[in-house]
Amino acid sequence: MQVMIDGKAVEVEPGTTLLEAIQGNGGHVASLCYDERLDPFGACRVCMVGVEGAPGPLPSCTTLCREGMEISTSDETALRVAAAVVELVLSELPEAPGEHTALAVVAKQLNVTRTRWTGAVHEKDEDLRHPYLAFRHELCISCGRCVRACDEVQGAFALTVTGRGFYSNVTAGVDSGFAESSCVSCGACADTCPTDAIVELRLLELAIEQNGSGE
Amino acid sequence: MASNLIKLTRRHHPVNAPTALSKLSEIVAETGTLTDEDIRGVAADYRLPEASVYGIATFYDDLIAPRGERHVRICTGTACFEAGDADSAQRICDGLGVGIGEVSDDGSVSVAETVCLGFCHSSPAVRDNDVIDAGPGVIERVIEGTTVEAGEPPMRSLLAEPVLTQPGTWAGLRRALAELTPEDLLQVEMKAADLRGRGGAAFPAGNKWEFARNAPGEQKYIVANGDEGDPGSYIDKYLMEQSPELLLEGLALAGYAVGSDQGFVLVRSEYPQSTIILREAVEQAEAENLLGDNILGSDFSFSVTIVEGAGSYVVGEETALLACLQGLRGTVSARPPFPAERGVYEEPTVVNNIETLCNVPFIAAQGAEAFCNLSPGDSAGSKLVCFNSSFVNPGMVEVPFGLTVRELCEEVAGGLKDGAQIKAVQIGGPLGGILPASLLDTPFDFGPLAEVGCMVGHGSILAFDQTTDMRALAQHLLRFGAHESCGKCFPCRIGLQRAYELFSDDEPIDRESLEQLLETLELGSLCAHGSGMPAPIRSLLLHFPDELGLR
Repeated sequence: MQVMIDGKAVEVEPGTTLLEAIQGNGGHVASLCYDERLDPFGACRVCMVGVEGAPGPLPSCTTLCREGMEISTSDETALRVAAAVVELVLSELPEAPGEHTALAVVAKQLNVTRTRWTGAVHEKDEDLRHPYLAFRHELCISCGRCVRACDEVQGAFALTVTGRGFYSNVTAGVDSGFAESSCVSCGACADTCPTDAIVELRLLELAIEQNGSGE
Repeated sequence: MASNLIKLTRRHHPVNAPTALSKLSEIVAETGTLTDEDIRGVAADYRLPEASVYGIATFYDDLIAPRGERHVRICTGTACFEAGDADSAQRICDGLGVGIGEVSDDGSVSVAETVCLGFCHSSPAVRDNDVIDAGPGVIERVIEGTTVEAGEPPMRSLLAEPVLTQPGTWAGLRRALAELTPEDLLQVEMKAADLRGRGGAAFPAGNKWEFARNAPGEQKYIVANGDEGDPGSYIDKYLMEQSPELLLEGLALAGYAVGSDQGFVLVRSEYPQSTIILREAVEQAEAENLLGDNILGSDFSFSVTIVEGAGSYVVGEETALLACLQGLRGTVSARPPFPAERGVYEEPTVVNNIETLCNVPFIAAQGAEAFCNLSPGDSAGSKLVCFNSSFVNPGMVEVPFGLTVRELCEEVAGGLKDGAQIKAVQIGGPLGGILPASLLDTPFDFGPLAEVGCMVGHGSILAFDQTTDMRALAQHLLRFGAHESCGKCFPCRIGLQRAYELFSDDEPIDRESLEQLLETLELGSLCAHGSGMPAPIRSLLLHFPDELGLR
């Protein structure tokens, strides 16, 4: 079937999502919960695009292409909603995300430089019990990428989303840390995390820590 | 929810057996709390990942609040907000010597909040273990330990021939099995009757059935959505408890038309009587061969399983409902796939509201034309509406579509008690707009209400009198919205928290920021919870801007 992306006609297979069609043709849409190795999730609502005739912007990761669809990646309303969502995400973190993180990159792409929102932020909760994987819960934005990577890629089922609403987070096992869970230390969670909430402790850092010169 | 977890759940779990969630609820009811060992034990018994069971245990209100021997739950629904004093919860806590979410040192008593107990006709309401007490003096009775069962709401019908307010006779199923093919029931009766969903979305029920009927798959399921969480509404509660046969007959008819042999009713745990009554009704129907194998000697077999929820408003959303039914975290999933293609255990599934299903026996017995003739206006059938305790005649009434809201409020419900004046009404639950007194002449029907930013929704009509503080109302609604957000999509998860915070202090609210936040919720949210919570706030901005403390 044929769809139009930013005015250009493109052939796609039935079942293709808007995001796949856009990316497959050299386009770009910012997103936070999407990882091409995982099933589309539709949680972050950042990958919004305009579709001619639709009542509002649509999430490109979970919307399927239909014959003749006219898709715009520069739709003003879609970009405004995406930027507003990222501004909300920045407001839940107690500190700004590291520059190299996917979250910081997406914020920059959408020109979100600050957040106007004050109010509750995630409490600092650093878990360093595992030798290779550090978990900083306060940086978690509940995108579920780590949980899904653990389920869909590794099949270890070591992670879960916890709580609900604003107080959702992610944890391993029975909130028992990676070491006391079914984690196999594959690192898929750290690899996909867009905020450094889960990071692999580099061997060097580990060595310093073990030599007793760490803080 | 991650995709392999669903498959894993299904692999180890017979379709109508109790789920891990049921087991967790049972443990909390027996021991008052869940320990890590309990969670590991359930994971082992159900062959589920420990992390997944932990995720379930931290999602539902029923599993989080610790319980003493006497567990007191204070209703914080909107009808109780309107009826109660701001400090009634505090008075209970002071009187019992224990705070909300706490258990007394000796384990004898605990207090928690709940929304909503469905006793909006005699607010405020409090649940004391399984006794629900409501109305004047309830706070004192809770403190003294002398609670009594509150009375059920009065009910009547304005129709010459009541559809929803009389006991089921199974005449529709008898006629269908004797005279109608499944295709006839679907096309000639259901689709022609244009029965629209009564749970809020008003989607044509016949179309849903057709999608599921045509979806590939041998096994199909029918699910009745008994998670009537909309504060102010007690319609489905009434139907489940007073007319369970109507609901079971409607489910069986849906099964017959769609080609399903298994139905479920997911009942919210805030309605303890509904589960008990429905289970008894299923047993009775099985004994009379109205459910079970080869119903009334036909080739059609259909069973119904009653499943209890565990305290979550968003579980009323259909994808979250199915997650809860499978015993998982009750979070929303993106559609497609729609339940009609991939629902319970990834099989084609119809999800209908309770009242919607209760209309089906009439349609099957008397035909589409008779159903369309019940209301004079555009919409077919009748509607149950329920009034909160502010009205002179609170209770439930079956009405034709098309009366004005004023007629309903002033003539049917007799206006407000003690000569109070209506300032505004909220129709259809927390996701419905708020109609100011100046617009009471709006007809009670899908189209006209939508034009003024409101909806039929669940059909509850909740009046606010002249003393209602509209900023406090906005805060009340947003507190509910933020607490009940499932946490999956970002606009709702963070946006409702921020909206609640805006209204939570005495500072002036920046109107532009608020409106941008509402737009993000409306356009960005994954489900109707996030996209619908702005509706009443928009109404307040439009009709009562001076009372909100804006700048």
